[in-house]
Amino acid sequence: MDRGKVTAAAPLYLPEPVAAPSIEQLYSRLGMYWQALGVNDPQRVAQLSETTLQRAAAMPVMPNMDPMAQAIVAAGAVLDERLAQVLGVPEPSRALTAARAALLSGAVPDWPEALFGSVAETGPALDALRAALAEPTPEAVPHSMPTQRIESFSPLGPLRRIWLGKHQQDGGSSVAR
Amino acid sequence: MAQTPRPSVMGHTLRRVVFFMLVALTTLIALGLMATAFHNNGLSPMEFILLLLYAVLFSWICISFWTAFMGFFTILFGRDHWAISRQSGVSPDPSAPPPRTAILMPIYNEDSERVFAGLRAIHRSLAETGQLNGFDFFILSDTRDPEVWVEEELRWQDMVRALDGKGRIFYRNRPENTSRKSGNLEDFCTRWGSRYRYMIVLDADSIMKGEMLVEMVGMMERHPRVALIQTPPVPVNRESLFARILQFAGSIYGRMFTAGLNYWQLGESNYWGHNAILRVQPFLDCCGLPKLPGREPFGGEILSHDFVEAALLRRAGWDVWLAYDLEGGYEELPPTLIDYAKRDRRWCQGNLQHLRLAMSHGFNGLSRLHFLMGVMSYAASPLWLFFLIATGAEAFIQAQQRPVYFFGENWVPVWPISFTVEMTTVLLVTLTMLFLPKLLALLLLLKERRVARAYGGIINATLSVVLETVFSVLTAPVLMLFQTKFVFAILMRRAVGWPPQQRGDHMTSFGEALATHGVQTLIGIVAGVLSYRYVPAFFWWFIPVLLGLVLSIPVSILSSSIALGRKARDWGLFLTPEETEQPAVLRYLDDHLQSCEPVLPVLRETQANRFVQVLTDPYVNALHLSLLPEREPPNKRRQHYLQGLINQLEEDGPDSLNSAQKRDLITDPGTLQSLHALFWSRPPANAGLLP
Repeated sequence: MDRGKVTAAAPLYLPEPVAAPSIEQLYSRLGMYWQALGVNDPQRVAQLSETTLQRAAAMPVMPNMDPMAQAIVAAGAVLDERLAQVLGVPEPSRALTAARAALLSGAVPDWPEALFGSVAETGPALDALRAALAEPTPEAVPHSMPTQRIESFSPLGPLRRIWLGKHQQDGGSSVAR
Repeated sequence: MAQTPRPSVMGHTLRRVVFFMLVALTTLIALGLMATAFHNNGLSPMEFILLLLYAVLFSWICISFWTAFMGFFTILFGRDHWAISRQSGVSPDPSAPPPRTAILMPIYNEDSERVFAGLRAIHRSLAETGQLNGFDFFILSDTRDPEVWVEEELRWQDMVRALDGKGRIFYRNRPENTSRKSGNLEDFCTRWGSRYRYMIVLDADSIMKGEMLVEMVGMMERHPRVALIQTPPVPVNRESLFARILQFAGSIYGRMFTAGLNYWQLGESNYWGHNAILRVQPFLDCCGLPKLPGREPFGGEILSHDFVEAALLRRAGWDVWLAYDLEGGYEELPPTLIDYAKRDRRWCQGNLQHLRLAMSHGFNGLSRLHFLMGVMSYAASPLWLFFLIATGAEAFIQAQQRPVYFFGENWVPVWPISFTVEMTTVLLVTLTMLFLPKLLALLLLLKERRVARAYGGIINATLSVVLETVFSVLTAPVLMLFQTKFVFAILMRRAVGWPPQQRGDHMTSFGEALATHGVQTLIGIVAGVLSYRYVPAFFWWFIPVLLGLVLSIPVSILSSSIALGRKARDWGLFLTPEETEQPAVLRYLDDHLQSCEPVLPVLRETQANRFVQVLTDPYVNALHLSLLPEREPPNKRRQHYLQGLINQLEEDGPDSLNSAQKRDLITDPGTLQSLHALFWSRPPANAGLLP
């Protein structure tokens, strides 16, 4: 290799993180994220982004995460907290991740309004959400499956069995005595 | 849970005595003729070896022949009163709860679209019977490929949503695929097995009619001593010429062979690993497979578990039946000769392992025979090859000897005795044994006009049988060399992988054919030149074998052709009843593959990179997270490893990671969540996240 030549570094797959993103950048990215989650009303997006930024500010700084990534994590937390609250499930929990998946699957029409809007509209949405909860496996009923003994053939096998048989017979008769 | 052994039924015993007497007698007669020809000047060591090989190989052919023969008569007379379907059995206890049955689909890196289309076809067919409530579906995934894994999760969720199958259609992906398919089933049995009375095991390409599934459960209910009923899967749905020829052969001869197998195996039948119903409790009690002591190929994990499970059930006194006359079960064949050989490579090691089991203690006689038959399916090839080489060598030795007309005190010439008649008889008997079943299958069509029409009419069926015979003669030597190579590779302890099957139709390229069959072609040419030069008389007998090898490349390429397969179908060749009149369940499969609109929008993006999608798409990410099994957080070393992979992904993108690394990343919930945030905070240009 010719060390005299300096080649340009290949571009990274993920762009370099923005060390200190502006508030506009954060709002913009969070807006996109909430829209990807299914929130289409611009007012709702703005309100949720605001809540998310407050939530992010309250979160401890996470290692290996830039501020933008931390804001995305906070958006998830906002959604999960609300879901846990309306469903009455612990956080974090398996039920909660299942609820999030059900919510984002499109099974609950207009969920942003139902979840973050007026309380009166929550009922039917919750029913739809519960119906859409995935049930990957039924409740386990553990049962053992004993490993079977397969005794391989050995030329000495018959002799050994005769020996063992005789031995057991002796043992058995001694017990009988 | 062991059953008290059923007292032997005189009729069953008589059938087996007749069958094995016929096999033994035919073998002895053929062997006698051969020995007479050899015994001219005493038996040389080479001749002794030839006799020994012939005895083994001929008895193998005899079992097959007499099985077909018995099957012929069973179908000809239209009934077998000892068939499991004909026995009335006992009436199920009306007070007992109705049985629950789990339909299991173990999968490993399969084409998810095809797997779920198949399951939906089965589900639809079962729903039409009105008995859907008695069945649950389990997709038991051992898939390692992360792309396929995510695809499976989406397809499962789509199926549940489309069929309102919550609480009836289940999916799980095993964290570790310990003990492969048998471990996969064991995992089901130990966790959920006791919720069910029966389980019906499918293969990834299995399709079964709903009526058949209901009937299988009914049979098990009527026969409480039966632990397993195997049904014969009929090969369907392939379009390449190779697969259509095999489909035709499997269909027209297969029904005769399965009827014949049932004739002599009765309640001591075998398990083929899929399209079978099993009673869960005895399976739990008797079928926990041990690791065999010693190293591979004969030690270690039991690879072909099905035969062993049947033998273990029989050992515990349970009956195992083949319901040869139960129609409505289907499977798909490898589309090309090369794929067929690849499947053989996977099966070969497991079957050879059975040699050891055949000699293990405790199994009953027929189970041992099943093991030996499994071994012979592959061991026959090197034995045939050795037999051919030895015959050539013997012919060469004979050709070098000059006849001596005057020897000893004879003053008149002693003419050499000709054994042409004996040798020709041996050859004719062998050929009859091999080809008569094909004729018998055609004879059955003469009796069953309706069935004959389903095979395209008697003329087309006859023409198809002739062409199939030519094709099987051409491919037999190629398969012989393949299998010989596999057997020796396994005996030399060279690893035999467990690659997923390439099940869809596809054409073999010239490069692939040349790389695979090049050496075989060369062997054919060299053997031809040598035999023509040194043993010309042998050369002419050897021509079918030589032709098969020399033509292996064009035969392999042409037979993989889908166009030729379709053309043959247009000409009415190699038609099967399932092609002539497609059963509804197969039509449903086609419908689902061709025109089924997914419920989940994300599945409409067929070309999506599912690995990137699981990191970026909030729904796919959430679904995957919700399906991950609960696990301990990664330890420090594991965290460092995962962080290294994240760094690599950040810098070089997903293509720089191998399949196992990608799987590691999406297996850990924390890492998955971090990556989701990372991708949304710094979206790559091609991920489609930003407008």
